[in-house]
Amino acid sequence: MRAPLTLRRANAVASRTLRQLRHDHRFLGLSLVSPLVITYLLKVLFDAAANPFFDPTEFIVAYGAFIVHFLTYVLIMIALVRERTAGTLVRMFVSGYRRGEIVTGYLLGYSLLATVQTLLVLGVLRLLFDLDYTLGQSAAVYLVIWLLALISMALGIFVSNFARNEGQAIPFIPLMMLPSIFLSGVIISVEQLAAWAQWLSRLTPLFYANELLLVLIKPGGRLSDDWTALAGLVGYGAVVMLLANLTLREGD
Amino acid sequence: MKTTITINDLWKRYGRVEALRGVTLSIAAGEIFGLLGPNGAGKTTLIRTLIGATKPSAGQVIVLAMDPRRDVWQVRRQIGYMPQQPALYPDLSPRDNVRFFAQGYGLADTEAQVTAVLALTDLIDRQHDPVQTFSGGMRQRVSLACALVHRPPILLLDEPSAGVDPRLRQTFWDHFRRLAEAGATILVSTHQLDEALHCDRVAVMRRGEILACDTPRNLLQSGQTAVTIWRQDRAESHTLANYPQQLPLLLHDYGLDTAVQRIELDMETMEDVVLGLTADQPGEQPS
Repeated sequence: MRAPLTLRRANAVASRTLRQLRHDHRFLGLSLVSPLVITYLLKVLFDAAANPFFDPTEFIVAYGAFIVHFLTYVLIMIALVRERTAGTLVRMFVSGYRRGEIVTGYLLGYSLLATVQTLLVLGVLRLLFDLDYTLGQSAAVYLVIWLLALISMALGIFVSNFARNEGQAIPFIPLMMLPSIFLSGVIISVEQLAAWAQWLSRLTPLFYANELLLVLIKPGGRLSDDWTALAGLVGYGAVVMLLANLTLREGD
Repeated sequence: MKTTITINDLWKRYGRVEALRGVTLSIAAGEIFGLLGPNGAGKTTLIRTLIGATKPSAGQVIVLAMDPRRDVWQVRRQIGYMPQQPALYPDLSPRDNVRFFAQGYGLADTEAQVTAVLALTDLIDRQHDPVQTFSGGMRQRVSLACALVHRPPILLLDEPSAGVDPRLRQTFWDHFRRLAEAGATILVSTHQLDEALHCDRVAVMRRGEILACDTPRNLLQSGQTAVTIWRQDRAESHTLANYPQQLPLLLHDYGLDTAVQRIELDMETMEDVVLGLTADQPGEQPS
């Protein structure tokens, strides 16, 4: 029995994006090597600033999450903008593909890349920083970062609507990423921020992911230790995915 | 013949720019209809309204008795669209590209139809090579294959022969003619004014308006024809607006006496006719 047409179309988009990734060795290589290089540079940086009162393992996982968040957001946004400028997005719509199928297909296809990126970053962090997490903790940390990657992709798809070409997409990178790194609690604790900034921090997915990761890396930490942050991350994801589905623009 | 596309008083505004200004035309099944005009004439906007990708500001569009905005998915199943740019994935092969767009239609026998359309567009030998290694003309062939794969009754082709060599262009037109003879409706926009002669009817557009809509033959005849009559080794020159009707009248004045040695006609080409129609009039802003 054949799967429903809508699933077959989403699967066709996912297969096509994966086939493209497989053929574009340079893109694939850079997507996988760059998080490793950044992670290694962080290790070098923290080693150089060695201080007995400074323990990078308290926040290095959140840095890793940010690397995955940044890369998945940028890569998928550029990919969608390229579809738009090349005319293939309109052609997809004319060929019968629906918005939801395109968004789902992209999320499915790129989630494989995000999975590999997340595993690589976590693996290298564990090696370089001697992280000693239990299997359950590692799985939960992996799940949070992977969820964050999915949300970042949906965010990238949503934001791609506002750019007509690659040049116009570039300002959206700092626009989304700078608040993410400075307001989410990864660098400065959210409690130390001004009230308005604390409110703004809730608009970044990294805030919820960081809250969860801070709980998870404590000895015996579990996902169920912070239901509010977990619900926030999932809820944020649901809203962004809905927005991406509703707004993917084919023309004027 | 059955009308498949009807456009009534269609307007499209982008802010203060009027891309389409009261376009009205109808196209029948089995007809090859050409849209001629300079850049910015509104040809692409008109085609995009037919596929439901552009929302008209006013007016009515009917495709196979359906509204392309309201019945967007039903209309699109009936349309093969070839955009101005190739709109392909350059790192994938022709087979991968055509298969991907075919999968959108949910065809029962996708692989068989992909193979058939690759054979039709003479791409079988290169079906597994990446499109980025292809010439402009070959990319156009892949793009055409994507538009034809679901055997649509309506083809909307936005400058299909741009960057295509003359031999391949002839092949394209032969193929379009065969499709039209089989009942397909074909709307082609083109810059190549000599291609208008392949169409059954053409519309000349400028600044979102249709300036003339007729058969290429009638359009050509509406152009100026220079007539030089040599009588007793002296040239007498005349300019006729509609030579099939005007030439006999002119010759009546001569009485066609035996001293008339030779009659020379210098007709305007399609390019002259279209450029004459679309030229800026005195007092107008240049387009």
